[in-house]
Amino acid sequence: MNQLIPIEYFLTFGAILFVIGAYGVMAKPNTLIVLMCTELMLNAANINFIAFSAFMGDAYGQVMVIMTISVAAAEVAVGIAILLNAYKVRKSTNADDLTSMRW
Amino acid sequence: MDMNEMILPMLILLPLVGAFLTLLMGGKRAKLAKLVALVFTVATFAVSLLLMITPVGELDKFNFTADWISAGGLKMSFIFVVDGLSILMVFLTAMLEVLVIAFSYKESDRPNYFYALLLAIEVGLMGVYLAADYFLFYIMWEVSLIPMYFLISWYGGPRRHYSAIKFFIYTHVASLVMLIGIFLMVFQAASINGVADFSFEAVKTALNGSPDSLFQSLVFILLFFGFAVKMPAVPFHTWLPDAHVEAPTAGSVLLAGVMLKMGSYGIIRVCLEALPEGAKYWQYVMIGMGILAMIYGAYACIAQRDLKKMVAYSSISHMGLVMVAMGTLSEIGIEFAIFQMFAHGLISAMLFLVCGTAGHNFGTREIPLMGGIAGKVPVYASFMMFAFMASLGLPGLIGFWGEFGIIAAFYQWIEPKDLIYLLVFCLLSLLLTAGYYLWAMQRTLFGRLTTKIDTDHIHDVDRVEAVVLGVLAFAIAIYGFWPDLALSYLADYSAYVGGLI
Amino acid sequence: MMFMDYVWLVPLIPVLCFVIVGFLGNKMGPKAAEGGFLVIIGTAASFVLSLLVTLEYVGFIGDGNLYPNAVENHIDWFKIGIYQLTFGYYIDILSCLMMLFASFISTMIFTYSLGYMHDQGPRQRRYFAEVALFLTGMLGLAVSSNLLEMFIFWEIMGLCSYLLIGFWSFNHPEGDDKADNAASAAKKAFLVTRLGDVCLMGGLFVLFFAMGGHLEYNVVFNADNLAAAYENNSEMLTLASLLIFGGVIGKSAQFPLLDWLPDAMAGPTTVSALIHAATMVKAGVYLVARCFPLFALDANVMLFVAVIGGFTAFFAASMAMNNMNIKKVLAYSTLSQLGYMFLSLGAGGYMMACSIAVTGGQIVIEEPELFAVGCLGYAAGCLHMVNHAFFKALLFLCSGSVIHANGTEDMRLMGGLHKKMPKTSITMLIGTMSIAGFPFFAGFFSKDLVLDVVFEVFEESCGTEEMIFIALWILGIVTAFMTAFYMFRMWFMTFMGEYRGHHCHGESPKSMTVPLMILSIFAFGAGFALLLGWDGVFTFMGSEHSEGQILQWIVGGWDRPNVGVHWLEELFTNWKTYVTIVLVFVAVAIAYLMYVKKSINPGKFSKDGQSVLYRTISNRYYFPELYNQFSWKLGYDVARGVEFIDRQIIDGSVNGLSNAVVGSGDLMSKAQDGNLHTYASVVLGGVVVLFVAALALFYYGGVF
Repeated sequence: MNQLIPIEYFLTFGAILFVIGAYGVMAKPNTLIVLMCTELMLNAANINFIAFSAFMGDAYGQVMVIMTISVAAAEVAVGIAILLNAYKVRKSTNADDLTSMRW
Repeated sequence: MDMNEMILPMLILLPLVGAFLTLLMGGKRAKLAKLVALVFTVATFAVSLLLMITPVGELDKFNFTADWISAGGLKMSFIFVVDGLSILMVFLTAMLEVLVIAFSYKESDRPNYFYALLLAIEVGLMGVYLAADYFLFYIMWEVSLIPMYFLISWYGGPRRHYSAIKFFIYTHVASLVMLIGIFLMVFQAASINGVADFSFEAVKTALNGSPDSLFQSLVFILLFFGFAVKMPAVPFHTWLPDAHVEAPTAGSVLLAGVMLKMGSYGIIRVCLEALPEGAKYWQYVMIGMGILAMIYGAYACIAQRDLKKMVAYSSISHMGLVMVAMGTLSEIGIEFAIFQMFAHGLISAMLFLVCGTAGHNFGTREIPLMGGIAGKVPVYASFMMFAFMASLGLPGLIGFWGEFGIIAAFYQWIEPKDLIYLLVFCLLSLLLTAGYYLWAMQRTLFGRLTTKIDTDHIHDVDRVEAVVLGVLAFAIAIYGFWPDLALSYLADYSAYVGGLI
Repeated sequence: MMFMDYVWLVPLIPVLCFVIVGFLGNKMGPKAAEGGFLVIIGTAASFVLSLLVTLEYVGFIGDGNLYPNAVENHIDWFKIGIYQLTFGYYIDILSCLMMLFASFISTMIFTYSLGYMHDQGPRQRRYFAEVALFLTGMLGLAVSSNLLEMFIFWEIMGLCSYLLIGFWSFNHPEGDDKADNAASAAKKAFLVTRLGDVCLMGGLFVLFFAMGGHLEYNVVFNADNLAAAYENNSEMLTLASLLIFGGVIGKSAQFPLLDWLPDAMAGPTTVSALIHAATMVKAGVYLVARCFPLFALDANVMLFVAVIGGFTAFFAASMAMNNMNIKKVLAYSTLSQLGYMFLSLGAGGYMMACSIAVTGGQIVIEEPELFAVGCLGYAAGCLHMVNHAFFKALLFLCSGSVIHANGTEDMRLMGGLHKKMPKTSITMLIGTMSIAGFPFFAGFFSKDLVLDVVFEVFEESCGTEEMIFIALWILGIVTAFMTAFYMFRMWFMTFMGEYRGHHCHGESPKSMTVPLMILSIFAFGAGFALLLGWDGVFTFMGSEHSEGQILQWIVGGWDRPNVGVHWLEELFTNWKTYVTIVLVFVAVAIAYLMYVKKSINPGKFSKDGQSVLYRTISNRYYFPELYNQFSWKLGYDVARGVEFIDRQIIDGSVNGLSNAVVGSGDLMSKAQDGNLHTYASVVLGGVVVLFVAALALFYYGGVF
């Protein structure tokens, strides 16, 4: 099986995507962006799954990806809903303001 | 199934069913709660009487065995056994339950929960005294703990939450340590037997078959710690005065009357029967702790202002005597340790009823606030004096024989060792006991009539309370006059345990 | 065996009276509710039965033979381990004597109480119930067949003493101060005797195991058993004797533990007469007499008994010299007379201990002459016990009659009462002459017998003991002088001179005066019992048949009934007797001059109550303060320390531990700041750490 693009490229791409996502989750104040960055991280994982699946020649990775996408969709729906409610109560989507669950 | 085999499970099932039925008597049916509770405790008491009239040699016909969990090399069963050690405790539990439910007939705050908790405590207590399987024993031990926690924290005095949580943490930590000990013991036995059988008999046979003093002394101290906290032995005792002061009268009676005995019962049943080598190793520690508790408890009593707290410390002092008796590891010692448990059960029940009544009838239990009330409440004063005299070991009442036998056992132990001066501690504790009781009586009953409480509105014990106290007084006197009524159950058993060691 | 089989009824009748009066009294109708008549009838029945038993025992009725041995019968009670304890009765002449005089004097005193307590209303029921229970204790003590049973009755008496001293400890008719006083006196009496009782209990344990698990009289005091135990371990027997004597010191209020008895006068006067003069305090004397074979094995124990007794006799008499309270004077004289009894028993026992030897598992009497002196000491102690019971009960009841009529106990508020209450006055004079030792009165015979014994012991002993016994004899003579002085001082102050009080009701009712007259006959005539051979009843005889029997000494002496006459002859030809008689008359004369003629001012000796000696005596040698300090320091202060340890150190460390757990939890929970970014960073950081750790394990640990 000839491979035009070696697997390291996919993995590196996935890793970069994951790091960007992680950075966003940790550093961005806006909760909406945090949510989107979570999606980035999930997709980074998806890319790894696809890559391994293709290179190893079995379909389990792709099954996992489909499941991840569906879970991510549900998660976004729930996340956005929570976010909207939080905005209604707090008039803010800034993560630093939403700290009433501490201690 | 054989009728005899159903007797012991009945002792547990009757209060269990009673507890659930009582719980149903909420709301409009609240008045029925005490009746239901009374019916079930009386029925339990009747069953325990059946045991009492059976000759002690034939008690093993009541043994009950049923498989429970048997998986993965573990074997836990329902085994209920009654013998010379447990029969008096079972009788005492059943009797005190009837008396406290009758005594607290005026309880009006959620009575269905109150009586249900009392019955639930009886389930646990009966279970502990009847179980002959370590797993069952442990579970029943915990079962008795939880209703008592709720009894204190729902129906107690002003600092009830602190006291209840203190009681719970102390006894629970102790029972966890005990559980470790039980597992060690059972798995050691399993390495000999091949199967981890939790029954008392299997473990005892295996451990005594090949005595390993190092192992036994290690496990002994774990189990001993668990039981000693419950007894309670100084310095693990501070939960007791707090719990007693805050607990409702009925709770105090059960706590002092039968729950403390779980500790000493466990020491005899588990530590001495199954681990005689360990007992020999820790003998001096037991004697030392007993003497310490005796003197320390008696001194602490002198400084108390609250009647119930004073009586609580006196319990510590008297359980110290039990510890000394068990520490002698002799036949007389074990016989009278059990006898003193029984005696103290009756006497402390009466003491707490009397002191609790002070709180209800006079509005205070503070000794310095009272004085000269004997003229106002003569019947109450007579009962209080009787209870105090019984507790300070007046010859002719049951408390004296406990002390007498224990000091005899102690003397028998110290004499060949040339430690006779240790007798002074026993005698000192008797003297101190007389001192704090008489001082308390002088300040509460006698002397000038107090002006610190409203003496126009204090009232004497009513008819039901008088009957309950009278029954206890009668029991104390009759067993005191003829101690053989209780001792006859103990002779064979104490000879057997004495023989093991 | 006719009445002997029913001797258990003697203590049982009073306990039935107690139950009926105490528990059912309020159902018996208004008049009988007070229970007095029932108790008197019961007590009289006990007395009649004890009289019949005694007569049968000494052979006047029944089959006409006197019993050579004690009569013992028991049932099994319970077992301690392998040791069987029993419950039964034991009748010898000593128990007969105790039963007789206790039940007789009780009958008298209870009859008197009908008059004395008649204004107490419903409280009489409590009074009569409690005295009935007390009598159970006393009679039970007399007939007990073993030391443990004896101890139970001993403590029942202690309880009743507590209850009756505290009879007025609440709602006192004369106010709250008296109530406080009674409550505190009752507590003190119980605690001080309890101190002795725990010693006694310790002694019982020592004896129990030294004698191989027996406390029965006929085993413990069996000569062979005693000899065997003595050869086995004599120290244990000495220890047991000393501890038992500790109990006696508490109960009979001897030297270090004597202070409770004067305080106990806070109870009703009838109670003082019954419990604190005639019966309960005699229980100690009875116990020493009962344990005589045991005590007599060690001369030092007996020496100790004698010294304590002799010293107490003097010490207590000195405190009576200047007391103004009529009851307290009598209380001190009780202590002093009890001291005489112990002096006599101790001196006799010392001689006896010197005369015997334990060899080859047997007790052998080596010097019969010394042994006879010992027997005489025993007889003198017991005789004085009986005589004292009569005259001291009489004196207390007379003082009760005086107090009843005057409403005060202070002798400074009395005087000249002879005209107002002649019967009380005459009977009290008889009692006073008896205790002072006027010739031919009861007290004279027994007291001089005591002093005679002590002097003979002095003559027979040597070395340090010689010095001790001559000192004791001199103390005894001086005490006799002092006794005559303070008793007549009391009588003169009360009945002679001018009336100094406020109001006197006059003579007491018949129910009170008739018992006084009956008792005064005995107070005068009980000494002549010697002539009837009664001293022979007590005399120990060196017995030829000691093997295997109870020490036969106790009941021996029947074969020399004329010893009393013989002894009387000796008494009146002895210079020592005349010394005491002269001293007594001098003392009475001094009292007369001081308190009737007023030609000698007593204030001159005491510097009007300012001299150090006078104040020391008035403050009872600072004994009450000593007691208070002692109990306060050793009791309450230590208790406060324990309480501190309990609250601060033990509970403090427990609470500290729980606070530490809760506090650290609080601290940790600060990490949970609610900020999404922090959480996310921690999660990622955690992942990284775990990943690195996994790699490290992979490379260096070789785990995978």
